Amino acid sequence: MMKINKKSLKQNLTGYLFIMPQLLLFLIFMVYPIFEGIRLSLYKIDYKTETFVGLQNYITLFKDPVFTQATINTIIFVVCIVALTVVFALFVASAVFDKDARYVSFIRGSYYIPVMVSMVVMSMIWSFLLNPANGLIPYLARQAGLPTVNFLGNRSLVKPVIIFITFTTNVGQAIILYIAAMIGVPKEIFEAAEVDGANRLEVIFKILIPLVRPTTIYITIINIIAVLKIFVVIQLLTGGGPNNASTTLMYYLYNNAFKYNRLGVASAVGVIMFIITLILSVPQLRAMFRGQEQ
Amino acid sequence: MLRKRLVALLMVSILMLTLVVGCGQKAENKPDAEGAKDTGKEKVEISLWLTPQWKGVFEANEEGADYDSFFKYAAKRFSEEYEDYDVTVDVQVIAGDQRDELLNVNLNGGTPPDIFYESVFAMGDYAHRGALVPLNDIVDDTAKKDIAQNFWDVVTFGDDIYFYPFSHMPGTLVYNADMFRAAGLDEYIGGENEIKTWSLEEFEKILNTLKTKLPKDKYTNAYPMALFALNNQGDTWNLAYLRMFGNKFFDEDGNIILNDEKGVKAVKWLKKIYDAGLTNPGAESVSSNDCNAMFQNQQLAISFTNSVLFNNLKADMESGKVAKFDARLANIPSESGEPLTFTYVTGSCVFNTNDETRMKVSKDFVKFFSSDPELVKASKNGVPVRTSVAEEFKSEKPLFEAYDKNSKYLFNFTGNVPGYSELRQVLYPELQALYTGEKTPEQVVKDYQTKGNEVIQNAKKNSVIYNK
Repeated sequence: MMKINKKSLKQNLTGYLFIMPQLLLFLIFMVYPIFEGIRLSLYKIDYKTETFVGLQNYITLFKDPVFTQATINTIIFVVCIVALTVVFALFVASAVFDKDARYVSFIRGSYYIPVMVSMVVMSMIWSFLLNPANGLIPYLARQAGLPTVNFLGNRSLVKPVIIFITFTTNVGQAIILYIAAMIGVPKEIFEAAEVDGANRLEVIFKILIPLVRPTTIYITIINIIAVLKIFVVIQLLTGGGPNNASTTLMYYLYNNAFKYNRLGVASAVGVIMFIITLILSVPQLRAMFRGQEQ
Repeated sequence: MLRKRLVALLMVSILMLTLVVGCGQKAENKPDAEGAKDTGKEKVEISLWLTPQWKGVFEANEEGADYDSFFKYAAKRFSEEYEDYDVTVDVQVIAGDQRDELLNVNLNGGTPPDIFYESVFAMGDYAHRGALVPLNDIVDDTAKKDIAQNFWDVVTFGDDIYFYPFSHMPGTLVYNADMFRAAGLDEYIGGENEIKTWSLEEFEKILNTLKTKLPKDKYTNAYPMALFALNNQGDTWNLAYLRMFGNKFFDEDGNIILNDEKGVKAVKWLKKIYDAGLTNPGAESVSSNDCNAMFQNQQLAISFTNSVLFNNLKADMESGKVAKFDARLANIPSESGEPLTFTYVTGSCVFNTNDETRMKVSKDFVKFFSSDPELVKASKNGVPVRTSVAEEFKSEKPLFEAYDKNSKYLFNFTGNVPGYSELRQVLYPELQALYTGEKTPEQVVKDYQTKGNEVIQNAKKNSVIYNK
């Protein structure tokens, strides 16, 4: 047994050497910070000194109502944005994938433009549009004599607004991936379905969606991870307001680390976010690997 | 096969070497610093950060005037005149709302700036945290005589002076007298160089008249008064409003005492004018910057200002960047009739970088531009802390006298408490909850007091000045 392992190691040495630079970078810039973050979450950090406080930072966190609020907000954002992105992207992709190539390109292009625009620019434009005092939309509404609502300052409206904005910038990527996956589905299957007399809906639900499942899993994981870290929109558009109604975990972490200078508490938030991401990703990764084995 | 593997091995080694060399590059560059043989002096590079203050070296209408002009000019003169080292000063302007983020990141990373020029109230925490070095040794008797004691009190933490005061910026309200006239409020307009004081009843009458009588065709989309609570920017005005009904805010031990009848009354008043549409809408998601822009666009009749902002506005009107209108100053009114006013003392502090040479040069530079007879004249852009400079520009700047008269109404808005930066983060979420109707005024003062005092207690425990 030992012999075989040694032999295979020798055989694969070149391979290992090739991945060495990347592995080194990964260890230095990813793995080390994760462990450092876990360590820091157990310390109280002042400008010059570090004091071990055990789980005190976590206790502080769980006692803070803003942290609870931020966790709930983040979960709402993840669920809504990911679901919306997957459903809408599936809808658009399945509607256009077999149409004329130029038409498909046009649709792809139009949905992809917001993905290319920086999130900062997008947030600023939305802020120009929605600012309750001098924004364009409230201004037009007032001119037209319509009742005005403060989209960014209303507790029940601010989350849908952020979900919508993030969704519009996210969905292009998903549509591109879906169209590519759907174009890759063998033509014979559709022809066979046509012979069997299946209608369009049946083709979509019984053939397309099951066959692009790996893409769905990939899009879901990528989007969950991206939305968990949602920050720029919050920072630039609402500042977490009104009264923390749109604060997310990432924004809360940022505030603690850089505004309140509580690095220990911020690290604890980071550790909790890491665990949440891990838990959410495991079943999906498993499904993906199972799919590959088949 | 073997050759192939050899080639592969070689390539990997080259890759790794490149990496190592890439990382090592910086270290090799280091000895360069002493390569300044031509001047015969050792080269020292220091950094100076500031938040936007006044534009230009001395005047905002100079060509190419910007926020860093003064310090670049001062640095040029300093490096010409300084004898000990060959000094280069790197000047950077930092956005006010990102100051704490940038400083915290750089402090924790061990790369704080050498000098920071800013309002003292925003930087006091860094003295409490032990990040600044005392400046006692660069303050001489001439400076002590020329700058009034109340300014030294503001910059002294414990026994030591941590900031070299340069100028101060009294905070007031600003109003658009043209809009007042259009609404038939001529009798409430003060003199051009006066800081007008209204009683609270008069103030409410002004707001209500502006709301109903302001001609809609001339001033579209305009509101009587600025109100904002998006973030901590401009929160000193909000703090002043909370004192309008006589609440003292801090007790003698530096604890918040807003939760009483007077405090509740003030918060109720804010909610009342907001609900009555006497302010811009959406205060919970409008920033002070938005309000300032709206005032410049004549969409607000009454807004907040300080002496520097007011000067910049006038300069922008002169240069044509902003359409001209008649802007004048007024006090924040109060129930008792005695108005409320405050001032931001601005000055420089030196960070503890553990590099003796840089700290010495930084201190010398601070002393240089804070006491050089030519350079201190730039403090006229705010209000000079030096009596000699104030006297010199008295005739040119008639407002100096008005500010001086107003100084008897000054209140100390920070209460010199530790943790003030974090305390600032507590107020605006509560005000947001007030304006959105999520909390009652009673709840707001109660929650603010509880959370605020918690912050102060924690900061006291960690303050190097309290625990000396």
